[in-house]
Amino acid sequence: MKRVLVYIDEDAVEDSIDLLEVGRLIYGDKGFCSYALAAGVRYGAAGSLFDYMFQVKNGALPNYDTATIARCIEFLHRIYCFDAIVVPATHCGRMIAPRAAMRLHAGLVADVTGIGTDGDEVLMVRPAFSGRMLATVVCRGSGPVMMSVRPRVFTYEEPVLKSAEIIDVDVQDMKTPGIQLIERREKSEARDIRTSEVLISGGGGVIRDFHLLERLAEALHGMVAASRKVVDMGKAPRAIQVGQSGKIVSPRLYIALGISGSAQHVAGIRDAEYIISVNTNRQAPICSMSDIVVEGDSRAFVEGLLNRIEASNTQNSGDQKR
Amino acid sequence: MRILCLLKWVPDVDQLRYDRERNILIRENARLMLNPEDATAMATALGLKRDAPDTYIEAVSMAPRGAMPHLEDLVRRGIDHVTLISDPRHAGSDTWATSRVLARYLGTRDFDCVFCGTHTLDGGTGQVPAQLAEVLGLPLMVGICALVKLISQEGQAVVDVEGETAMMRFSIALPAVLGFQYSPERKLPYIQYEDLNRDVSSRITVLGNDKLGMDESELGLKGSLTQVRRLEVDALEAKDPVLLRVDQDGIDKVYHWLEQKGFLQP
Ligand SMILES: Cc1cc2nc3c(=O)[nH]c(=O)nc-3n(C[C@H](O)[C@H](O)[C@H](O)COP(=O)(O)OP(=O)(O)OC[C@H]3O[C@@H](n4cnc5c(N)ncnc54)[C@H](O)[C@@H]3O)c2cc1C
Ligand SMILES: Nc1ncnc2c1ncn2[C@@H]1O[C@H](COP(=O)(O)O)[C@@H](O)[C@H]1O
Repeated sequence: MKRVLVYIDEDAVEDSIDLLEVGRLIYGDKGFCSYALAAGVRYGAAGSLFDYMFQVKNGALPNYDTATIARCIEFLHRIYCFDAIVVPATHCGRMIAPRAAMRLHAGLVADVTGIGTDGDEVLMVRPAFSGRMLATVVCRGSGPVMMSVRPRVFTYEEPVLKSAEIIDVDVQDMKTPGIQLIERREKSEARDIRTSEVLISGGGGVIRDFHLLERLAEALHGMVAASRKVVDMGKAPRAIQVGQSGKIVSPRLYIALGISGSAQHVAGIRDAEYIISVNTNRQAPICSMSDIVVEGDSRAFVEGLLNRIEASNTQNSGDQKR
Repeated sequence: MRILCLLKWVPDVDQLRYDRERNILIRENARLMLNPEDATAMATALGLKRDAPDTYIEAVSMAPRGAMPHLEDLVRRGIDHVTLISDPRHAGSDTWATSRVLARYLGTRDFDCVFCGTHTLDGGTGQVPAQLAEVLGLPLMVGICALVKLISQEGQAVVDVEGETAMMRFSIALPAVLGFQYSPERKLPYIQYEDLNRDVSSRITVLGNDKLGMDESELGLKGSLTQVRRLEVDALEAKDPVLLRVDQDGIDKVYHWLEQKGFLQP
């Protein structure tokens, strides 16, 4: 039986648990034993989905104490000899995985978005060149297969219910990490653009008319998003930025208004089902990846479409009255 | 205060041309640019030096010799010293091999802080800073959006970081590895006119493996623990869009498309 260790990040507990799907994709439903390590105390639903759960006895470690957590992973690997170690590519996970890999002398693949196998070999697919290319990478050497996995790409949909056995871990002589949290302010995000099926997104070509997008979003039951250009100019909050350094979204419909489609922006919309782009320049890179390209001014487009929607709404309500 | 800045040059991804027939990106002619986050890190270091002129900044890059002209410019922008770690035997190194070479050199230096980017635009693994920190046994923080303070006498840095769900402020004991996030406000200073052709060769060191003395089995492809099997262009590049204009006909067609796909439900 293969052994898979999943690291549970306290800031993304559910997303971490979903990484069980990675184990399933590699070894099949019955082919592996699952181990969860949460350095904090938050295990969420892990107790009913994993075979084993490690509990750090000396007290919970904060997730930013990446050096100690990496030592903890090494300590566990020396005892349990995992075949795969899977870490969510969260802010802290991205620091923990490389530190642990270094200690274990193991190859590490970052930000994995696809999994395959070729005989006994695990193939890990990850975006490169700002997402314009996909690289298929394998680990060499004798160490465990290690990867950090992009959150929300995999979901553990048909869970096998279990009752996890708790294993106490006693990590000896934990050094102080040299890092202290002084202040933490939760981000107040009214609604997360990642949850919306329809996104009306604006870029450099609609900066002056950005407020108009809200009305179109309302009419299409969607939310407003933005390119980095708009955010950097202070016209939209960082929370609605789409792209490599913003949010990775997967709406059914993405309407890109005055967005050129730089590689960094497009990295965030690979999984959009339909893309409509409105651009004065139909050679803009976004156009070649759109289902519909509307050439022209985005303000005129938004106003025209809103009028069209309103016109048929009034007509419909008129019809109903009759 | 002594700061080491880690810098990498990457191809400008927006200039990569796609060859549909061979399904590859043509990388050869793409302009190289300093990885934007590394530029932010270096601009931050230069900002500190402006306020405290005794700050010493050394830039370190592991790259082919062709990077030389870029490195010379760094000195003209105010960096005190540049070290290029370059050896043909490094070609094909993954992050494991790269960070071990960088760590070997950094281990011989005396410094308060290592500044770097959080990740690069080409590979973008973001693994080098963490692997380096692990080899050197140093605290690490990445994703830094602001450096609040950095004081060598107090032996600490205070930084702001944007995490998944919260904004956080950390204090970090020096020496440490600090990875910055791209921030367009922090730009590199221009080169002064009189410096354009200044001879800066005395401030640049090139180091090959003969100096660093690592075993050949630790370098390049041989010394790597991961291997890229395939590199392919993401399929998204090739849609065949319907072309419309912003006129009554275009709006009508979009309207009917939205209706047909069910996006206009009341
Ligand atoms: C490290 C790094 C990370 C980055 N991360 C991100 C990221 O996460 N997300 C992101 O979006 N960007 C990111 N960027 C920035 C990115 O490279 C681009 O600069 C940015 O996406 C450009 O935004 P834009 O397309 O809205 O604006 P522009 O490049 O200014 O494009 C404007 C477009 O609008 C069109 N246009 C102009 N006028 C009109 C009009 N009246 N009507 C219709 N169309 C019009 C133009 O033809 C053009 O195509 C990042 C950059 C770096 C270096
Ligand atoms: N070859 C290199 N030379 C110098 N610094 C590097 C090199 N590779 C990576 N770095 C540093 O590590 C950061 C993250 O790189 P990466 O792990 O490749 O995404 C970069 O932003 C650089 O600061």
